[in-house]
Amino acid sequence: MAAGTLAGIAMLVLGESHLSLPGYLMNPLYEDLTTQGATVHAIGACGATASDWLKTVEVPCGADRFKGDTVFKGRAATTSPIKELIAKDKPNLVVIILGDTMASYDNETFPRAWAWQGITGLTKEIAATQTPCVWVGPAWGTPGGKYFKNDKRVEFMAGFLEKNVAPCVFIDSLKFSKPGQWATVDGQHFNQAGYQAWSANITKALAALPVVQGLKK
Amino acid sequence: MNDADLSFSKADHFFTRSIHKKKAQILALCHVTVSEILSITAGHVQKMARSIGLARLTLCCVGMFSAVSHAADIPLYPTGPSADSSFVRFINGTDAALELTAAGSKAKVQLDAKTPTTVFYPVRAKSDIKGQFTQAQSKSDISTSVKAGEFVSVIALADGSKLKHLSLGEEPDDFNALKVSLAFYNVSAKCANAALQVVGRDVMLFEKLGVNALTRRMINPVKISVQLLCGEQATGAPLELGELIAGERYSVFAVPAASTTRIFIVSDAVAR
Repeated sequence: MAAGTLAGIAMLVLGESHLSLPGYLMNPLYEDLTTQGATVHAIGACGATASDWLKTVEVPCGADRFKGDTVFKGRAATTSPIKELIAKDKPNLVVIILGDTMASYDNETFPRAWAWQGITGLTKEIAATQTPCVWVGPAWGTPGGKYFKNDKRVEFMAGFLEKNVAPCVFIDSLKFSKPGQWATVDGQHFNQAGYQAWSANITKALAALPVVQGLKK
Repeated sequence: MNDADLSFSKADHFFTRSIHKKKAQILALCHVTVSEILSITAGHVQKMARSIGLARLTLCCVGMFSAVSHAADIPLYPTGPSADSSFVRFINGTDAALELTAAGSKAKVQLDAKTPTTVFYPVRAKSDIKGQFTQAQSKSDISTSVKAGEFVSVIALADGSKLKHLSLGEEPDDFNALKVSLAFYNVSAKCANAALQVVGRDVMLFEKLGVNALTRRMINPVKISVQLLCGEQATGAPLELGELIAGERYSVFAVPAASTTRIFIVSDAVAR
């Protein structure tokens, strides 16, 4: 990848557990994005759903990285209202990496109304600030595990997000690998190689988006 | 008192405070009130879900950081709610203004020609929703429940000189931010085989809808007017639907009028 494909872009990156613990997505993604010239504030909140980013919600773990090392948080972690984060950081791009926490892997029935309400609640809040946004969907896991992640539901979840995240632009992480290709530690969370691959693919996909290219300085 | 009763009571409290304010302010302020309801409902669900998560956590004896994995292990969390969201709204399908009251409260909200509907309030699935429509000396006691994932519309209708109501529910699966979702509710006994035709074009948006039924479809976000047909006969004046926005949801209601059937459009806004 050519250097500086994200030069001049100030990103606010929000995510779930994948962005919340050492060895996960936080550090490789932060480093890939900043290497390409972006200024990044990345926040992870374990188990956070879309609507949790409309208010302050306590979560079991989380992380925050902005112009320095990552601060990994235990039970002190919370989400923050998206409007407050945008008002404080003034990013010119918001990136949401969220899907696994809303897929209801252990429930035969997908909670459409709940998911729609949460997703549109968050995208409308972002749109109200007139900040462009990108929503990165979930990646394939390995069937089973303690979260009961399964290929059929993750594919459904990605499709649901694709239809409902506008005006955010959707990045389909399922296209980055084949089912089961990235090894996981628990069916849902990847090993280091998986997170590095996911990070590289997200960075590349972001740089290719017209909305992102239009922001480059 | 269950959650639904609590939610409705909180709404009543708001209605008491706002009853003397302009009608146009009601929906906007309801938004705030129902946001409170939403936070209660969501909080309840989240609390339940997290309780389940904690229970699993205890059973699994998972530590914050794994000694064997190079990636840290993670506390278990739920990947969704224990039940889908549920919503209820109240519609005035009569020719005159009426008042809506929640059970156990004297607070009221007025529904009239300008504001014929409330927003969809989040409620707990399978709970009893109780209230009352009042118009002059006529009353209609409301008692309904909502299934998980269901959006229920409670519609007040004239019954001679009296008042009645009808509950119609839908479980939509057409959520799409790139399209307009438009529903057609026919609650006029005077209009069999109801249809909506696009004015100026030989295009039917909806056809052959029975009485006390609803249907929904997606359309592109275009500006159109529609003509109601009852039994293939044009009925009433055309209705301009206005600027329909992609991702938003709307409903056209066909309701009985003095000697005919009239239609109006409302937004299917959900309290946030």
